[in-house]
Amino acid sequence: MRLAGAILLALLAWAPALCAAESVDYVRDVKPILEQHCIRCHGAIEQESGLRLDHISFMRQGGVRGTALAASSDKSVLIQAVDGSGDVEQMPLEADPLSDEQIATLRAWIDAGAPAPQEPLPADPREHWSFRKPVRPPLPETSPDAWSQHPIDRFLAVEHQRQGLTPMPPAEKNLLLRRVYLDLIGLPPTPEELRAFQADASPDAYEKVVDRLLASPRYGERWGRHWMDVWRYSDWDGYGQEVRESQPHIWRWRDWIVESLNADKPYDRMVAEMLAADEIAPADEEARRATVFLVRNWYKSHRSVWLDNTVQHTSKAFLGITLNCARCHNHMYDPIAQREYYQFRAFFEPHQVRTDRVPGQSDTKHDGLVHAYDADADTPTYLFERGNEAKPDKENPLSPGVPAVLGGDTLRIASVELPPEAYYPGLRAFVQQETLAEAIASADTARKSLATRSEALAAARQKLAALADTASPPAAKSPPAGNGAEAESAEPKADPPKQEATTGKDELQVALRDAERNVELAESETLATAAELVAVRAKIAADAATFATPPAANAEELAREASRAEGVAAVERARHKVLVAENGVERAKAAGGDNAKKNIELAESKLTAARQVRETAQAALAKSDDSYTHFTQVFPSSSTGRRAALARWIASEENPLTARVAVNHIWMRHFGDPLVQSVFDFGRNGQEPTHPELLDWLAVEFMEQGWRMKSLHRLIVTSAAYRMASTARDESNLARDPENRYLWHANARRMEAEVVRDSTLYVAGALDETMGGPELDQNTGQEVARRSLYFRGSKEKKMTFLDTFDRANVTDCYRRSETIVPQQALAMVNSPLSLAQARRLAGTLADQLQTQPTPESETAFIAAAFERVLCRPPSDEERDACLAFLAEQSRMFADPAKLAAFESEEESDVPPAADPHARARENLLHVLLNHNDFLTVR
Amino acid sequence: MRRWRQPQSPSRNTRLPRRAFLADVGMGFTGLALGEMLLGDGIARGATSAWQPPDGRAHHRPRAKSVIWIFLVGGMSHMESFDPKPALNEFGGQEIGNTPHKDVLTASFVEENLRIVVPDDANGHIRHKLFPLQVAFQKRGQSGLEISDWFPHLGSCADDLAIVRSMWTTDNNHGAQLQFHTGRHVLEGQFPTIGSWVHYGLGSINENLPRFVVLGTPIADCCGGIGAHGANYLGPEHSGVQLGVDPAAPLPFAMPSADVYREEQQAEFTLLNKLNKLAAVEYPEDQDIRARIKSYELAFHMQTAVPDVVDCAQETEDTHKLYGLDQKETEPFGRQCLVARRLVEQGVRFVQIFHGSNGGAGAWDAHGNLKTSHSTLCGQIDRPIAALIQDLKRRGLLDETIVVIGTEFGRTPGTQNSNGRDHHPFGFSVVMAGGGLKGGVAHGATDALGFHAIENRHYVTDVHATVLDLMGLDPRRLEVPGRKRLDIDFGHPIREIMA
Repeated sequence: MRLAGAILLALLAWAPALCAAESVDYVRDVKPILEQHCIRCHGAIEQESGLRLDHISFMRQGGVRGTALAASSDKSVLIQAVDGSGDVEQMPLEADPLSDEQIATLRAWIDAGAPAPQEPLPADPREHWSFRKPVRPPLPETSPDAWSQHPIDRFLAVEHQRQGLTPMPPAEKNLLLRRVYLDLIGLPPTPEELRAFQADASPDAYEKVVDRLLASPRYGERWGRHWMDVWRYSDWDGYGQEVRESQPHIWRWRDWIVESLNADKPYDRMVAEMLAADEIAPADEEARRATVFLVRNWYKSHRSVWLDNTVQHTSKAFLGITLNCARCHNHMYDPIAQREYYQFRAFFEPHQVRTDRVPGQSDTKHDGLVHAYDADADTPTYLFERGNEAKPDKENPLSPGVPAVLGGDTLRIASVELPPEAYYPGLRAFVQQETLAEAIASADTARKSLATRSEALAAARQKLAALADTASPPAAKSPPAGNGAEAESAEPKADPPKQEATTGKDELQVALRDAERNVELAESETLATAAELVAVRAKIAADAATFATPPAANAEELAREASRAEGVAAVERARHKVLVAENGVERAKAAGGDNAKKNIELAESKLTAARQVRETAQAALAKSDDSYTHFTQVFPSSSTGRRAALARWIASEENPLTARVAVNHIWMRHFGDPLVQSVFDFGRNGQEPTHPELLDWLAVEFMEQGWRMKSLHRLIVTSAAYRMASTARDESNLARDPENRYLWHANARRMEAEVVRDSTLYVAGALDETMGGPELDQNTGQEVARRSLYFRGSKEKKMTFLDTFDRANVTDCYRRSETIVPQQALAMVNSPLSLAQARRLAGTLADQLQTQPTPESETAFIAAAFERVLCRPPSDEERDACLAFLAEQSRMFADPAKLAAFESEEESDVPPAADPHARARENLLHVLLNHNDFLTVR
Repeated sequence: MRRWRQPQSPSRNTRLPRRAFLADVGMGFTGLALGEMLLGDGIARGATSAWQPPDGRAHHRPRAKSVIWIFLVGGMSHMESFDPKPALNEFGGQEIGNTPHKDVLTASFVEENLRIVVPDDANGHIRHKLFPLQVAFQKRGQSGLEISDWFPHLGSCADDLAIVRSMWTTDNNHGAQLQFHTGRHVLEGQFPTIGSWVHYGLGSINENLPRFVVLGTPIADCCGGIGAHGANYLGPEHSGVQLGVDPAAPLPFAMPSADVYREEQQAEFTLLNKLNKLAAVEYPEDQDIRARIKSYELAFHMQTAVPDVVDCAQETEDTHKLYGLDQKETEPFGRQCLVARRLVEQGVRFVQIFHGSNGGAGAWDAHGNLKTSHSTLCGQIDRPIAALIQDLKRRGLLDETIVVIGTEFGRTPGTQNSNGRDHHPFGFSVVMAGGGLKGGVAHGATDALGFHAIENRHYVTDVHATVLDLMGLDPRRLEVPGRKRLDIDFGHPIREIMA
């Protein structure tokens, strides 16, 4: 087979070698083959066998086998390797071989003497721009004009001049206002706000608006949603009720994000808290919510998937590097070794997820503070051969470390001693108080029950005594007092069945026996709860002494007391349960019936078990020492400090990437396009910045302003660049820069999913501005008028409306998709949401105008509708079209018998108006909510 | 997420002379489709790269224009369907280690083939005690293809079928359902599915219908969920669109509430179209307006076209009977098959039908009572699939439609729970028929026990490669910058079954 192939190949090689010798071009034909198939192992990053194939001089020089290029292709190691004809293993390893055509090209090139143009040696990958710390460049000198006032504009103006571009004039005031509102708070301005801005002639009218918007709580919701994309917010996913990915109650992290942004918490601090709040602020319960950034990666069935996601997305989100590409082999593009991937993983190796109690809810299934913590400092990290978790390299355990190319020498890891309340949540005052309150309530209930039952017993005795004085009527058949199954419950019936005055003696005797039993049980329950209350108090005292720093002198004594009190309570509880079980046996025997035998056996086996428990409790009490059960689990009292060290390294001015990556994300969301297109890859396979100096200037400025995002937003939106018109009507500019890479006009954009839904509700005055709290049912998004970020979102659980408009992909969303598909049109035309809001808004506007439908008032209505929905007046043509529409629709609705309704199962929340004119107006509002200019941010 | 730039979303800045644009407005965009027909955006990879998103045209001459991809959820036994193993009867009840075929236990595939998700799960183990075949086989058709007696109707189409008996996968649990569609083990995450690649690569034939449709209940979230018909990094517009077969509610927001009149809505569409065209004149360089106007036109037509295409009432009584719509057990799946035919007839590119979804691992997951459950399930699909093939054929559509019948893995030759079979990733079968494929052929083989695929082994992406090749696409030319694919992702077309 191989021989036949070789002969065929040789024949094939002949023809192209003869005629292609002239035509094979190194740069065009040869280099791409080498780059695609060979460079990974024979390039700047790796040099297997000492051979590099990324420059002609290296090829000539060769590796351990000598030159790769002999005078004839047959004798060249390069050819022997790719066609498998030499004693070299056939290359590329573990990939499809080169095609015959590609090999023929290489042969022809070698046989022609391997001609190649003079090219500079490939750059040292470690010198890649983004691996070097940004240095603030001087502001460029520009001629004084509108573009010389603002640092951002000066950098952009330099490129405009260089590229021969003329920037567009400022946007019209109404468009600018709508743009900056939607950008900063995700909602459009009201007509009042629009008019006020248009009327404000002061020079800082715009800046005042910007400050007001940045101070609005709506800002945190709007930008919180952006960061939720980047940081991969996802509510839990699973199979039925089983949690398989992420965790319940992570909405607290969402609230932390919104609150932090509104408080203008510095970005470096936010990053640090997300990675290690439990280590850098261990006493701060609120900050611990931030670590859900890590919790979100929780993955039930596989720790490696969990940690891989953690490594991958920590590095992509904060550093803009694709560490995940080095999981199975060294990174193909960046100088990052496979070992370094696993060293990065080692930062996270000890951490786990736990859910602490929150005030008011003792069951963490229903609510709790979920967060990350170090559970096991000693878990080793190994490199997995070829990324296969089944093949760990156990010979060489790895310590935590960051990629050397990014400057990893400064890392210092020091273990963190935690305050007692952080590692023992049961020490928190509310846990103690709630536990105590519960115990007090139980004891009260038991005492009250005993009193009631004692009265019932006295009454029963009296009745029987009274009956003894009179002649008894014939006995009725005794009703069963319950069966075995009922007796299983801990308590017998609280109240004996009501007895009629005519009840017979037998019944009264049964009732008396029940009443006696009830009292006996209530007495033992009273004893048990009282003992339990004593135990709770003793434990609180013992906890306070034991966990004090240093422990109190009487700590040991108090612990012994707590231990003993717990033992006593356990014995009392066990005694009570024995009584309950005895009662169960008696009832089962009394009940009779078909299953009597089985029920009695079952009740007796329970009694045996209860007695066993009692004996065990008694034995334990006899031997009680100074150990007692804690209110909650006690976790390790120290944390490795690994994540804190990583956080310090990432959130540092020394880190070359962190500020650049953050600034790029923020820039992209203001302008619609980033400075570095590959927002999560600033490595060598990513893209170069369009404005490298501007990026660095902004990054340094950001850091020097204390990593304050509001300052950066203000800086960006007050630039002339941000305020430009989005129209791109300039033939010369279009010819030079059709893609607007050099930002000569503003980019018009489609609203994101959440903005579409929120703004639809908002313009109709229906948006519920309640903030925060547990995630809302994703299936109620058409009726519940809260902002979209508060609804549940995970892989499977999603609101269809938001999904239609490209909601964030929860597994990975560094940049939103922005599609235009017919399903979006259907959602806006047919959803109950948009129909209801159109009808609601039509009514509101009509009320405000307080006019009957006349031609003049219709004109005013149209103007009001345009202003409310589109933030602009209608053009004459638009007005005329709308007037004609209103008239035509009114006529149509005057004769509904001629109309055909949709045969739909859908119901609307707001019914259409009965009046034909009013309904026509509703139609107009519905059209405007579907208008391109509503969905577009200009 | 959005890639550098959305390959198929229209570029906002591509230059278009104003006059030409206005002419387009006047023509109502006749002939313009949403993505691929608007100008591609181009930048992507900086000055040196010439990457362009696909233009919707095939790379080479296509042999088929549509795919109907039937997926049996839970893992159908290959030995009781398309890969008869008489040795199981001969050695039934014996331990594999005591038979002449004991080598299967030590074959290198046992380790190499497998990547375990849940260690020590109750399921997903080699079962040693051989379980006899639970059904008999017949030679069918001129070709004499052997197919089990649970498929009498499909058996009558034997001469149209190409059976691949040497499939393998690497997940011993139901994450293999996702893997069958993406080609990647579930632990490696989610990737674009075969349907989304077809959608990404090929343009639309009928703009009033989605190009990639999903029928039946998708697989459960345990096993890949919506990821099994998703597009992942290709972007949400390339995901499968789930359609119901009930004409009253075939897709979300298909209709407004019952208090809206058709005439009322039509008038709204007309006004909207007028206003948006005025905006388009105001912003002639904004391609998004063009796309939006187009999307509303399509939406308006979809409102009628989608309920219409799923409405089987228009089919003859004979057709209803052919698909088994008159029988309770065959009706649900029969209706989906019939709708699938109606969809491809109208130009839908990829129809993915799920059978056996039950909120969990899937109905075909026969750990016990294999005979009862498999015979019942086969009874649900046999007549409808046969009808689909016959119906396509008599309408001349089989030549341009590929039918695939797949499942995530086979089942163990040994028995589990006395009368069931466990998961089996080492060998299983896939059946294909239609455009560009041979009929009446069986390709590849498992060993005598049906344990390992040993001859002409095929990983699941080889089925993808076959489908894409027949559709005229070269998957390597669809690769997206920054999304490096591995060799195994591309697979190799199974030339031996191609006509």
